[in-house]
Amino acid sequence: MSAARNMLCDTARAVFAEAAMVGIAPVGEAGFGLLLVPEAEGGFGGDWGDVNAVLQIAGVVVPDLPVAELIAGETLQPAATVSLMAGAMGQALALSIDHVNTRQQFGRPLGKFQAVQQSLAVMACEVRAVEAAAAALAARLDAVGLDAAAADFEIAAAKLRANRAVGVVTAIAHQVHGAIGFTEEYDLHRVTVPLMRWRGAHGNDAFWAARLGRQVAALGGRGLWETMTARGA
Amino acid sequence: MQGFALYPFDPPGDIAALRADLRSWLAANQPQDDVVFRANCWASFDPDFSRALGAAGYVGMTLPARYGGGDRHPLERYVVIEELLAAGAPVGAHWIADRQTGPLILRYGSEEQRQRYLPGIARGELYACIGLSEPGAGSDLAAVRTTARETAEGWRINGQKIWTTGAHFSHIMLTLVRTEEGSERNAGLSQLLIDLDTPGITIRPIIDMAGHHDFNEVFFDDVLVPLGALVGERGQGWKQVTAELGLERSGPERYLSSHALLVALIDAAGPHPDPALATLIGELTAEMWTLRQLSMSTAAKLAAGEDPMVEASVVKELGNAFEQDMPRRVQAIVTSGWDDENDLAKLLRALLIASPSFSLRGGTREVIRGIIARGLGLR
Ligand SMILES: Cc1cc2nc3c(=O)[nH]c(=O)nc-3n(C[C@H](O)[C@H](O)[C@H](O)COP(=O)(O)OP(=O)(O)OC[C@H]3O[C@@H](n4cnc5c(N)ncnc54)[C@H](O)[C@@H]3O)c2cc1C
Repeated sequence: MSAARNMLCDTARAVFAEAAMVGIAPVGEAGFGLLLVPEAEGGFGGDWGDVNAVLQIAGVVVPDLPVAELIAGETLQPAATVSLMAGAMGQALALSIDHVNTRQQFGRPLGKFQAVQQSLAVMACEVRAVEAAAAALAARLDAVGLDAAAADFEIAAAKLRANRAVGVVTAIAHQVHGAIGFTEEYDLHRVTVPLMRWRGAHGNDAFWAARLGRQVAALGGRGLWETMTARGA
Repeated sequence: MQGFALYPFDPPGDIAALRADLRSWLAANQPQDDVVFRANCWASFDPDFSRALGAAGYVGMTLPARYGGGDRHPLERYVVIEELLAAGAPVGAHWIADRQTGPLILRYGSEEQRQRYLPGIARGELYACIGLSEPGAGSDLAAVRTTARETAEGWRINGQKIWTTGAHFSHIMLTLVRTEEGSERNAGLSQLLIDLDTPGITIRPIIDMAGHHDFNEVFFDDVLVPLGALVGERGQGWKQVTAELGLERSGPERYLSSHALLVALIDAAGPHPDPALATLIGELTAEMWTLRQLSMSTAAKLAAGEDPMVEASVVKELGNAFEQDMPRRVQAIVTSGWDDENDLAKLLRALLIASPSFSLRGGTREVIRGIIARGLGLR
């Protein structure tokens, strides 16, 4: 990550932590609404790579505040949601790893049991997939000047992939946590419940699958590969 | 493995032209054989095709020119490989030599070994197999018992390998053997490059459940090879093999070897598929697109000299799951008789039968998940 983006993330962490207690106001005051506005127009001239990084943090710290709506317009909300989801999934994984390394049963940390290790490996694969989808979508959006229509294929693929990961990620995270993860006090639900909500927001699985499927069918079998390679790398 | 970002896939040169050239070369040179040859095509053996591909400069691409290679960047090779797999080209004959044996000889081999083997590999004429598994050493590879003893005349080898893909058509086997008497587990192992026409080697076919002869058992009965057959450092076999497996796990073959089925499904569905078919095509596309991003990022990391062991395992795990899932899900919604002779039915049958092997070879699902778990800090 570039130094500039690292600084942006540090700021986001600090501002979102405050917003978590007092509401959206500090996010607006810190200028996050101007993140994508060109510098010539008085904004920060950020790109979607920046938005992706910032929203991954928002997805963990302030999942219930309208940060994505503050930063991006309506057509980019599905893409923004992918970033929120990637962030929340990364946090669910981090909490799970931390928990199984600390909690002991049968005289050992849970993480020493092969069954638990294998579950978390499955979960980690899903999380990596969604992080990759969010990053690849960001690269496409930046390559086409944030034109959602020109990134329709990638938006559909990334949101669908993220939606499909939600079931596995939330189920395994809760399973390895046991009862403590089911309490109001413990932090896990602060990311798993938003994940459940985001799966249905800005296009559920059926919506994006049908849309992407029709788009691909129109390309034909060989056309899918030709189109995919022409659109990136 | 926290804070994952995509590693930029940024090959040098004109990649669009590289793709276009290869596509037109394939249009003229890819054999129009049975469609099932295009599924799981890294197991499709066609030495004429391999030789033609080598002559066109698409084999041994990353090897230095002084050994007959193309001096190309690893990511240029990646692009060529994904195009070949997406087209279902029969790359099985030279696949292992091109993917891992060649690079391994370049990295660890002696000058003599390089001069002797690399030019043939780059021509698409010299084929290789991997001698790791033994009857008592599957997932537990450190249990290898085949021995090589140093004598005045050379290494004397005794033992047995099994499941050796392509041993029956290969010229050489990169073999993991125990060179240090009394050594145990992953200590005392070395890699030998063995010419398969050496006296004392017996290769017997094992027919797989699809009725194909792809893998074999290979017996070594007092086989004598020169001391110069040692690859790399004596006793460092375990370390070298682990590096080799990294090359094996993250390539585009982990998600593209069943691509022919997706192509046939889309073509059979036509431009206006019913909702159930459209949904399935959409879901498979989203998965494949994501896997491609992960695989390219891992390849870029490898090319930059890093060792993305965990990422490579993530690609294999997700790719295997995708490729095993695809034929099952296609079968669940497409009306097709088991013995039907159209392209879709034939591919479906072939891949349903082939798919159990995907999460066995190159490290089983459980072993791969164990590597990922270690990367997470759990072991
Ligand atoms: C098509 C095909 C081609 C192959 N080609 C080659 C080749 O070219 N060269 C070569 O050397 N080998 C080859 N192999 C062999 C392959 O590497 C082995 O099959 C693999 O390593 C597993 O070993 P195994 O079959 O003995 O199974 P086992 O090791 O006996 O495993 C059986 C099951 O038990 C599980 N298991 C084992 N140990 C553990 C554990 N500690 N914890 C949890 N679960 C465990 C495994 O994951 C697996 O599900 C090939 C295999 C296939 C199917």
